[in-house]
Amino acid sequence: MKKSTVVLIVIALIVVLLARGAVSQYNSLVALETNVESRWAQVENQMQRRADLIPNLVATVKGYAEHEEQIFTDIADARARLLGARSPEEQIAANNSLDMALGRLLAISENYPQLKADASFNRLMDELAGTENRIAVERMRYNEAVEVWNRTIRQFPTVILASVLGKQSMAFFAASEAAQQVPQVQF
Amino acid sequence: MQKRQVNLLILVILILIVGQTVSAQEFPAPIGYVNDFAQVLDQRSRAQIQVVAEQLKEEQGIELAVVTLQSTAPYDPTEYRTLLFEAWGIGGPEDSGLLILLSLDEGAIEVETGYGLEAILPDGKVGAYLDIAVEEYFVNRQFGPGLSYLAQAFKAELAGEEFAKAEKQSDESLGDWFISFGIFILIVILLRRARFYPPGGGMGGGSGRRGRTVIVPTVRVPRSRGGFGGGSRGGGFGGFGGGRSGGGGASRRF
Repeated sequence: MKKSTVVLIVIALIVVLLARGAVSQYNSLVALETNVESRWAQVENQMQRRADLIPNLVATVKGYAEHEEQIFTDIADARARLLGARSPEEQIAANNSLDMALGRLLAISENYPQLKADASFNRLMDELAGTENRIAVERMRYNEAVEVWNRTIRQFPTVILASVLGKQSMAFFAASEAAQQVPQVQF
Repeated sequence: MQKRQVNLLILVILILIVGQTVSAQEFPAPIGYVNDFAQVLDQRSRAQIQVVAEQLKEEQGIELAVVTLQSTAPYDPTEYRTLLFEAWGIGGPEDSGLLILLSLDEGAIEVETGYGLEAILPDGKVGAYLDIAVEEYFVNRQFGPGLSYLAQAFKAELAGEEFAKAEKQSDESLGDWFISFGIFILIVILLRRARFYPPGGGMGGGSGRRGRTVIVPTVRVPRSRGGFGGGSRGGGFGGFGGGRSGGGGASRRF
């Protein structure tokens, strides 16, 4: 075999290998991005689920504690903002203010022993706690997916492809400080 | 010289295989449906729970795991239950898993429902049963009867529901594929190595020993993933079916 053919074959092999590498990198980038998106959809699902629970919860609490108008208004506002939010940032902000309003609702419910003994209230409280736990779990998984994504698009050699495609790092979902604290109950 | 390189290669492969499972290693491996790590169950309750779990699995394709722990530290019990559920993969292909976790130090009873059971066992219902169990059993430290009560109550609630059984192995994840590939390479290397050494010089001989002490634990490694596997460990518990959950369920402190 002539020397030039050998060189040609080697070059062709290198090109093929590079192209394959680029394709598989592209595919893995797409997979990671889709993963982040579907994780976010799960977070949205759970926030929606909580928003759906709130009217029932408020109605039950109102039956025992009708004077706490301010809290009911705050909750209704926060819920409306969550349902109206478009971007993830808006949703996170609205979700955090809903956390605060709900925390206050739970705190005042301690002052109404009859409410605490109500079976449907207890059931709703379990649903609410379960939903909040689900939000926490999905938020954690979303943040993990974002972390992998942000790391991958900065790593060599994916960084080349990512910057050519204009891929950017995504935002983490940080919990509000109010949501991380257990509401304080005053007697 | 060559031997050192081979050893190094084995070490690298070991790290590749083990590295993935190390994070899951902080959770104990499941020993069956009943995992009484804190040793608080009486014989009778344990048997009752075992029967309930076996029936759920065989008749309805639902996997129930009951776990007792001294402590869930450093995790919060609620956090722990979701992570343990994920690590064990409780439930069949339709995420039909149920985890009941009792933690003594925290005084916590936690129930996590797999995605597939959320609609049948909503959090409110789980919470109502937990209230009864806490009031009648757990405050009196009757852990066995309390857990047995919960298992039976949930079984009654789940009556008539059927899920796909966890028999099919078609959806092997990439991780499993990697592990099998790593093991394959390892076997190839071992076979090749074996040819270089005279027969009989391996086991007892000082030269073979170093390599072998490294190798022995690899055989167990894939088991910690709690996937399908054979039944070689402790009387044949094959692990759970790979079900998932998303934090559904309820909890109480007593």
